[in-house]
Amino acid sequence: MAKNHVPDWLNNSLWSSRSPPPQQSLTPAKTSIDSEDMNRSTNSVVKSSVSTESSVNMPVPVPPPAVIRAEPRPVPPPSPKVEIIGPLNSSSSNCRSDGENGSSDSSTTTSGISSTEDISRQAQLSQELSRKIINLGEVRRLASQGIPDGPGIRAIVWKLLLGYLPTEKALWPTELAKKRPEYKQFKEELLMNPSEIARRLEKSASLENDGTGTDIEGKGVLSRSKVTQEEHPLSLGKSSIWNQFFQDTEIIEQIDRDVKRTHPDLHFFSGDTPSAKSNQDALRIILIIFAKLNPGIRYVQGMNEILAPLFYVFRNDPNEEDPAMAEADTFFCFVELLSGFRDNFCQQLDNSVVGIRSTITRLSQLLKEHDEELWRHLEVTTNVNPQFYAFRWITLLLTQEFNFPDSLLIWDTLLSDPEGPQETLLRICCAMLIIVRRRLLAGDFTSNLKLLQNYPSSNISHLLYVANKLRVKSAG
Amino acid sequence: MVLVLALGDLHIPHRAADLPAKFKSMLVPGKIQHVICTGNLCIKEVHDYLKTLCPDLHITRGEYDEETRYPETKTLTIGQFKLGLCHGHQVIPWGDLDSLAMLQRQLDVDILVTGHTHQFTAYKHEAGVVINPGSATGAYSSITYDVNPSFVLMDIDALRVVVYVYELIDGEVKVDKIDFKKTTTQSAN
Repeated sequence: MAKNHVPDWLNNSLWSSRSPPPQQSLTPAKTSIDSEDMNRSTNSVVKSSVSTESSVNMPVPVPPPAVIRAEPRPVPPPSPKVEIIGPLNSSSSNCRSDGENGSSDSSTTTSGISSTEDISRQAQLSQELSRKIINLGEVRRLASQGIPDGPGIRAIVWKLLLGYLPTEKALWPTELAKKRPEYKQFKEELLMNPSEIARRLEKSASLENDGTGTDIEGKGVLSRSKVTQEEHPLSLGKSSIWNQFFQDTEIIEQIDRDVKRTHPDLHFFSGDTPSAKSNQDALRIILIIFAKLNPGIRYVQGMNEILAPLFYVFRNDPNEEDPAMAEADTFFCFVELLSGFRDNFCQQLDNSVVGIRSTITRLSQLLKEHDEELWRHLEVTTNVNPQFYAFRWITLLLTQEFNFPDSLLIWDTLLSDPEGPQETLLRICCAMLIIVRRRLLAGDFTSNLKLLQNYPSSNISHLLYVANKLRVKSAG
Repeated sequence: MVLVLALGDLHIPHRAADLPAKFKSMLVPGKIQHVICTGNLCIKEVHDYLKTLCPDLHITRGEYDEETRYPETKTLTIGQFKLGLCHGHQVIPWGDLDSLAMLQRQLDVDILVTGHTHQFTAYKHEAGVVINPGSATGAYSSITYDVNPSFVLMDIDALRVVVYVYELIDGEVKVDKIDFKKTTTQSAN
């Protein structure tokens, strides 16, 4: 059944962003935050940022929430459920034309949910998390609406959703006590350079002392010992630790470069402060250990982007002061998260059924199902190959398309959806396309590509709502 | 973990055409941090080749070197060790431990690297260690025709040095290693 018309629910005023609010002078967020203010984005950054200047230096698209709250909203959407049946709304259509542009100054995160709902969700989540045995389904349901910014809540919820923490709360200490030393051991084993490895092997192998470490006393010819199994620095043998070390050096250099480039706009990651450096070090070590433990996939550019939000959330968890513990937690959660998406990074699998190409094709199919007109215009008329934009969307889990706080929200939904992150990701991508359909339909190849590769910042809860609707529709 | 390559007495092109192929295949750029050369390269092309292995190159003058501006001796500090470099034809008797020890005390170094005899040796005495990397090409020397190509790679790690000796014996590369530590207080003159 061909959908030649735009579906009704799409013509809702909900999908238009509000027109840009009158520009008030943006006072730095830290002076105007009140504690009840549940705005998720800047709040989390301010409360939990390691250095306070990060709030001031946050990128412009996320203004201080207090400013937004103060003014009346031109198109107030109290709650999604009420306005569904609304037909084409003239005021909203005006807004939509410039509104889809997602006036970057309007709060991208607070619309659709009033602060009281927010507070109640936080209370519900906290209550759920305080049980002895946590109901994962309930947590998923609550989290998929967005995790509020209470201290440490997101960290715990993500750890639960990724399976790092078991649902039985009593087991948490034992689990952590098991996993964290494991990570520490990985660090010790895998980060040694070959000289140290050789030294330790000798220490354990030789019983008497004179073979190793003859001091410079006395006179005479120095004794030589045979080198076994190609274990010399210039060895070209495959099993030689030296050779592996030098091969790993290339990967380590690449990891180093990418880590330095991660989120240059966030003070948490970049800059010269010792905390930023230690955060970068943590990222680097996690990626190095992952690369060494996974010789099949090693390190691919982009993994640092997937790692960054995880580390940010766990490091800013006020319940966990020790950065080494946050590092260990992040490592295991990263492994877990990536296990679903590994195939996207493996070049040999690109053309296979599980590879990135077929995922992009699935996205295309999904779009065709839900909005054939747009699909036809995009792929047939303007010839915009989905690979041009969807590749980055999918492999980097949308971290590069939205600003940092928004991507945290999207990840809340991604991780909590029972269908699994892959499916949810595709739905969200499809929703992203549908939301800007007006501009896409009006544009040609160049403008469409430009739009999709620099996706305009928009209302995240709208986006997630549309994505959710897509699931319902395809089931029905 | 600093890798230092010590070699010398190549005598290219007069007595040998090139390094043995097996040595050349092992010496790839990117692994070695310093190269010290005892001398007798003899031509600029060899200097350029060594420079490609590692930009930090130290050479002392041997009696057949065509480049006259290399110094007679050189000292450098790598990690906790002081290394001294000299070709060795200046020290008489050639290859004699006591005379070399005198030179070592003069230069005040822990490890002295000299050549000229085209034979690998590694001695220790109170003031330090003397290493002769031999001839990397196996060129004949004033003393003997029977020379095995050899060179030395030192792995300097804090207070410990592992010396890997690479020799080409009967067409096969044989690697030995020698291990020594420096005592923290300078064992002095």
